[in-house]
Amino acid sequence: MFLQTLVTGLSIGGIYSLMAVGYSLIFSILSFSNFAHGAVIMLGAYMGMALATKANLGLGLVVAGSVVGAGILSVCNERVAYAVLRRRRAPSLYLMISAMGCSMFLENMVYATIGARFYSFPEFFKRQVIQVGGSSLSLLDLFAFIISMSAIAALHIFITRTKTGIAIRAGVNDMTMCSLMGVNTDRLISIVFFLAGAFAGVAGVFLGIKYLVYPTMGWVTNKAYIAAVIGGLGSLPGAMIGGIILGVLETLVSTYVSSIMRDVFSFSVLIALLICLPNGLLGADTEEKV
Amino acid sequence: MSGYLDVSGLQIYYGGIHALHGVDISVGRGEIVSVVGVNGAGKSTLMWGIAGVLPIAGGSITLDGRRLPPKPHEIVALGVSLVPERRRLFTTLSVEENLVMGAIRRNDRDSIERDKEGCFALYPVLKERLRQRAGTLSGGEQQMLAIARALMSRPSMLMLDEPSLGLAPMVTESLFDTILRIRDDGVTVLLVEQNAFQALEISDRGYVMQSGNIAASGTSRELLENTLIRKAYLGG
Repeated sequence: MFLQTLVTGLSIGGIYSLMAVGYSLIFSILSFSNFAHGAVIMLGAYMGMALATKANLGLGLVVAGSVVGAGILSVCNERVAYAVLRRRRAPSLYLMISAMGCSMFLENMVYATIGARFYSFPEFFKRQVIQVGGSSLSLLDLFAFIISMSAIAALHIFITRTKTGIAIRAGVNDMTMCSLMGVNTDRLISIVFFLAGAFAGVAGVFLGIKYLVYPTMGWVTNKAYIAAVIGGLGSLPGAMIGGIILGVLETLVSTYVSSIMRDVFSFSVLIALLICLPNGLLGADTEEKV
Repeated sequence: MSGYLDVSGLQIYYGGIHALHGVDISVGRGEIVSVVGVNGAGKSTLMWGIAGVLPIAGGSITLDGRRLPPKPHEIVALGVSLVPERRRLFTTLSVEENLVMGAIRRNDRDSIERDKEGCFALYPVLKERLRQRAGTLSGGEQQMLAIARALMSRPSMLMLDEPSLGLAPMVTESLFDTILRIRDDGVTVLLVEQNAFQALEISDRGYVMQSGNIAASGTSRELLENTLIRKAYLGG
């Protein structure tokens, strides 16, 4: 029973991590909380579902399609809603308000065109389980966890080893100097938004498979936001650790205490942490951002 | 006037203040030209304006007869590189990554390696610190890295804003020697300094700035020997 709960918690934690990484990437480069991230996740889920049901694609291609689609969507979101404000050197609060507007616009656009119906993904794993020491572990949960961690590991290698990755970290450190090195910062920011969107795409598909696909499903990013803050907003390892801690603790609470207490618990953890460790576990003051 | 870099009638507003009221300077190919003057005279504004970071409100900047493009990354691509005041290193990146950033536009791996070796020849200490975070270097080492980073872009024109700021006198001495060496390698240098006497001593020509205008100009010798200018602008 405990092992089963742990694996479920890890898979949810993995999805939280994916979303939190997207938040953190954008926060670290533009210093604002991108509240439209949830809408990108939601649309990523719809794209994945369309590919799975209309085109009958397998899980691999569904994830790939959703990664590209949500990545492009995220770049468009930046170009339309934030780039203009950035060029006028608007305070980051304005970007945050613009992000909230985008989120509402996209959600209502889905209501108006696709409708409020709840959709479910076709069952990719047909409730397959593997038996480990008397407890049955969901293959989907294991798969979601492994994919999430691999994606984050790949991102880590990308930003530490490649020239573009180094440029992203340089931009986080000092955007003006980054442009004085010859980096086209508009393009650099687009790359960051694409990465955040790609992670949102993966998260959207797994959320959709695990639960359902519906217009307000993006609100689950509240949890990703908590995860990012727990880990230290702007820190990439922090976002990952925060996501996993939150996912596991939440699942333990809903299994052993009460599922009604789950969200109460999550927000209590956030408040307690902000009081004790305002910078999060790996806050930007102690650890390199991104 | 036609030099390599020509600034004419340059006007810049910075933070709502009319910071430059029509500045004219010219830098010939292979020269070291100093811009000196008290704090707040507009020297740094001039540098940020040439580099494309601050928008220009009037006048023109040309390099080799052609107007500079508007964006900083396009200006770097033409060979104009700025080492700003207080160095502005990527402090959370390693020394090596800072050098990678300097050469970020370039793809010629072999000659990047050669230029890196060139930087180590100039500043051997950087080679020992490759994996260290730039923010943990001493002031003098940070200045070395800032110059090395700028050189990694293979500039034809290097702009240095207050490079001696916060350095010990001995370190400043060797900094000025290095600037001469860089010029001898064929790089044109535009140097902004509060340390007016030392700057003019290594320069071919100089401009004295005051409240957003050029107050005086001439060869370094003329400026240094003119007692009126020494008294009024150079504090001696």
